[in-house]
Amino acid sequence: MSDNDLVVQMKGITKVYPNGIAANQGVDFNVKRGEIHALMGENGAGKSTLMKMLFGLEQPTEGEIIINGEKVSLSSPTIAISKGIGMVHQHFMLVPSLTVAENMVLGMEPKQGNKLFINYKKAVEITEEYSKKYNLYVDPHAKVRDIPVGMKQKVEILKALVRGARILILDEPTAVLTTQETEELFKELIHLKEQGYTLIFISHKLNEIKQITDRLTILRGGKFMGVHETAEISKEEISHLMVGRDVVLSVEKEQAQPTDVVLRVRDLEYTNEWNKKMLDKISFDVRKGEILGIAGVEGNGQRELVEMLFNLNVPDNGSAKVNGKNVLGRPQREIRDMGVSLIPEDRMTFGIAGAGTIEENLMSDRAANKKYNNGPLFNLKAMHEDSDQLIKDYNVLCKSRKQQVGMLSGGNIQKVVVAREFSSDPILIIADQPTRGIDVSAIEFIHKKLVQLSREGAAVLLVSADLNEVMELSDSLIIMNNGRIAAYFEDTSVLNDTIMGEYMLGLKQQSDEEIRGVLHGE
Amino acid sequence: MFEQLIDMIFSASFGYSIIRITSPILFAALAAVVAEKAGVVNIGLEGTMMISALFGVLFAYWTNSWIIGVIGATAIGILVAMIMAIFALKLKTDIILAGIAVNLLGGGGTVFLLYLFTGLKGNTASLTTPNMLTPKVDIPIIQNIPVIGQIFSGHSILTYVAFLLVILVWIMLYKTAMGLRIRAVGENSHAADSVGVSVLRTQYVALAISGALAGLGGAYMSMYYSQSWNIGIVAGRGFIALAAQAMGQGEPVGAMLSSLLFGFASALGNKMEGMQGFSSYLVASIPYAVTIIGLVIYAMSTLKKVKRFKDNDK
Amino acid sequence: MENKRQNMFEIFRGFIAIAIAILVAFILIVICADDPGKALECLLIRPIISNGALNVKSIFTILARMTPIIFTGLAVCVMFSANQFNLGGEGAVMLGGFIAALIAIYLPMATGVHALVAILAGTIVGGLVMIVPAVIKVKLKASEMVCSLMMNYVIMFTILHFLNNVFPDRSKGATQTYPFLETALIPKMVPNTELAWGFVAAIIATILVAFFMYRTRWGYSIRMIGINESFSKYSGMKVGGIIILSQVIGGMLAGMGGAIEMLGRYNTFLWKDLPGYGWTGITVAILAKNNPVMIPLAALFISYLNRGCELMSIYAGVPAEMIDIIQAVIFLFFAAEHFLSGTRQKIVVKDAKEEMQKKELATAGEGGNA
Repeated sequence: MSDNDLVVQMKGITKVYPNGIAANQGVDFNVKRGEIHALMGENGAGKSTLMKMLFGLEQPTEGEIIINGEKVSLSSPTIAISKGIGMVHQHFMLVPSLTVAENMVLGMEPKQGNKLFINYKKAVEITEEYSKKYNLYVDPHAKVRDIPVGMKQKVEILKALVRGARILILDEPTAVLTTQETEELFKELIHLKEQGYTLIFISHKLNEIKQITDRLTILRGGKFMGVHETAEISKEEISHLMVGRDVVLSVEKEQAQPTDVVLRVRDLEYTNEWNKKMLDKISFDVRKGEILGIAGVEGNGQRELVEMLFNLNVPDNGSAKVNGKNVLGRPQREIRDMGVSLIPEDRMTFGIAGAGTIEENLMSDRAANKKYNNGPLFNLKAMHEDSDQLIKDYNVLCKSRKQQVGMLSGGNIQKVVVAREFSSDPILIIADQPTRGIDVSAIEFIHKKLVQLSREGAAVLLVSADLNEVMELSDSLIIMNNGRIAAYFEDTSVLNDTIMGEYMLGLKQQSDEEIRGVLHGE
Repeated sequence: MFEQLIDMIFSASFGYSIIRITSPILFAALAAVVAEKAGVVNIGLEGTMMISALFGVLFAYWTNSWIIGVIGATAIGILVAMIMAIFALKLKTDIILAGIAVNLLGGGGTVFLLYLFTGLKGNTASLTTPNMLTPKVDIPIIQNIPVIGQIFSGHSILTYVAFLLVILVWIMLYKTAMGLRIRAVGENSHAADSVGVSVLRTQYVALAISGALAGLGGAYMSMYYSQSWNIGIVAGRGFIALAAQAMGQGEPVGAMLSSLLFGFASALGNKMEGMQGFSSYLVASIPYAVTIIGLVIYAMSTLKKVKRFKDNDK
Repeated sequence: MENKRQNMFEIFRGFIAIAIAILVAFILIVICADDPGKALECLLIRPIISNGALNVKSIFTILARMTPIIFTGLAVCVMFSANQFNLGGEGAVMLGGFIAALIAIYLPMATGVHALVAILAGTIVGGLVMIVPAVIKVKLKASEMVCSLMMNYVIMFTILHFLNNVFPDRSKGATQTYPFLETALIPKMVPNTELAWGFVAAIIATILVAFFMYRTRWGYSIRMIGINESFSKYSGMKVGGIIILSQVIGGMLAGMGGAIEMLGRYNTFLWKDLPGYGWTGITVAILAKNNPVMIPLAALFISYLNRGCELMSIYAGVPAEMIDIIQAVIFLFFAAEHFLSGTRQKIVVKDAKEEMQKKELATAGEGGNA
């Protein structure tokens, strides 16, 4: 393989974000001209960061990027575009009220002879020309807000092509597509490949990768795990390389003694605004005294499930009850009063009020409680005491309870959230990605607390894309794939990374009978 | 009494006064439309109109030319908008607060500026000469058609400019590259950014256009409608324009229709003032009340639309 | 808010903003005054010292004029804290004043009780009208800003209707109501000055609002919603209800301010236009950074400048409206987040570095122990 064949060479790329997280560590990434190259890895493996650097959205801390044999510094998307790189973002960069043709030419509008007006006819012609040439059917006159997701994606691809892209990065392009749309996309991608385009395809769906890519690069935990010819590596091997733990952090815990069912979810169904079925008849029970884990690659319905349970969204069908009382569509106050706590996935949006003090954030769910009020006024003494106690108990590193929460480190912010959610005597704790992006000591601390609370009698639903976490903490475990429960394991000690990977990536699916094990009674 | 009212509404002079009253609001409403399309709330329209109204008169007085006055008013409108833009876009003053500051300048600040430049206090009536006022235009042919001529002919030249601008603003927004960029920036600035369209630059341009339009509205007030400048000259028209923009769903033509509705309500008030049994003050409040009701109806219809959209999807 | 150096910087930034405004004022004065020295003296010194002696009367005037803008400042503070740009303070002030005036004229009561009832009525009505923009915002997501602006005019014209057609005292040349009954007047704190006991009410209101905002569950909810609505909802707060509450309380404060101003300063209702206190209230709240405790200080500053401008117009022929230019300039710079942001960034970075060093030292210490 001579270097001339390589259109993209990223050598020894390291990226450390200002918050200290090293998203890429010495990654090598090479793409040959005219191939479809898969970039694979779990969430947080560093794929997006690597591609952001290739598209000029981020700059590497170390390492170099060589495009077509020329060493380049990609300091902005505009420069990346000029080097022939295009990116199809997972969240479309389109303007809904504009037509397809207008979106196509935005920023490079063809003008009439007088230089003043847009030559809309020309814009339509360009769109049609590219549409035809690359076999990507779009309706130039339709407004983007009215067209289906699949067509939006084609517009995105065409947008990159019309700007002269020869190398296309597709960030999880199939995540939003139906099966049929995916098939169509693949035909189109192969067509593009035949015309000499180079495609970088980010995904973690093994079947798709096997179907259309030539080679694949795997990342895990920000590190390079090798590059392979797709034909020469089995799905199982890929799964093994992708899903796995470098270090097994073990958590000590006693055997669970689960008793009554606290959370009972039955046949939850939800189709999102793009007509994709995110939850497909989800049923499970969580019992007092146990930690039920929900594992899965992100985007397989876990987020939607949690949203439903805390009324941040409403399902189309199904029921969810806490101790026999419905929680769906109920006000958060009522849900909390039933004894439900939530560690939200998006802690900056839901978990905290950044400009508020630590104390204000610790009190947000209980400020109206009798304990903290003397008539109309706050009982500041009680508040201060309890805040200080929580700060102490939960090891929040800060100057005082009056410090702004937003100024704390990620780990300490999460400890504030956890301190609040764990200290309301919850009977059900929903922990959604409770330790994402925080330091090891905070992780260990939160893990210990979760185990402790469950052993003291709380029911815990742990949703996590982190294998270590979900395998070590859970007493029993569900794996979600594609909006459905792919597997249920009553005893997590029998599990290993390989088994997990196969269910998470959709290589295997348990029978309904096996899955029904997660229902306890009724 | 109501017969009298009906007669009045169907009189040509009533139609004439609707157009006359609508014109300044239309300028400002178009200004609001352009700014809003770029994702900027220009609440400083009221103040911008005040300042431009003053400088329109002053420029016209200094040069004894209404044309220079109008150009000057427009230029000052742009200048004010640029000051707002620098604070809002560069120094990150909340755009609403920046607008309120402009309104403060337009309120008392103009009185001060008037004194600074002329030594006059409160109004410019003593400066007014016929050369300073924008001329009335009789439209050939149309002026001779009964009723129609009486309604549509004989307005200030700026009135025709205002209605012409509805079309021009629409063309600018929908037929030019700048318009496309303005709409893109206002709706999804990330999308614009990702294809190399500068969000800031586009918003500066939109605010400049907005300022120019508001400036013309100011010129109309002082150089035609009131024939001179005084402290109460704009009287909330800049705010009404914001409402007209919202009611008109942010579109030039919609804003024109809302402005006309407002003009109608105002004209009605003016006519009823002279009649027995109507309180001129209560009538004067009608346009504002109509605006609130219009806003409510518009908001309800959009809410329903959103709901229907979701239902359809399911 | 813990960080001293950053706090100091915020104060410094405020001073620079004020300094720029005063500088602009200086330049304007130098351009337009016949005797700039005298004009400056009027603006800066004469409000408190004239002819070498303390200008007691003027000082009382300054304090008296603080009363309404403390109330509107507090009103804006409560309403904006919930992240609602409600600009209806103007209308609520005028309405509060008018309702209080009507009660003062037409409902005879005992001294003391009369004023209290009138003020209470003004307060309640001020709160009631704010329900309109608040509910429209919460239920329909329509702009509270546009709605409240329009409402100001509806209120104004409605009052003018009643003033001119229903309650006018036709024996007077000017349009005004009949005089208030003596029993309803708020007595002067210092005889022969403008300073009435309403000033004390304003200070008490400040304390109450400060307590309300920082010591009660409702004020706390308002602030949290203002910072992060999603978080507040997730925490179990009744977001819609609290937003409405905040706007109603804002309206009540503005209405109370109007009523107290009316009964403390006038003896008949003669406002023919929106009084402008609502807008000044926004300036005051911005200067006070939405902190109720700082509102009187900000009001004092504005009132002082106002008085200075007034004296300047009397004695040096510079129009009093210069106050609006000064206010606008302060306003723009005070609210400008990126004004001097380079310097602030440096301070933040410096703080962060020191923090890191401290931490490293601490960890090193722990490591030594282990």
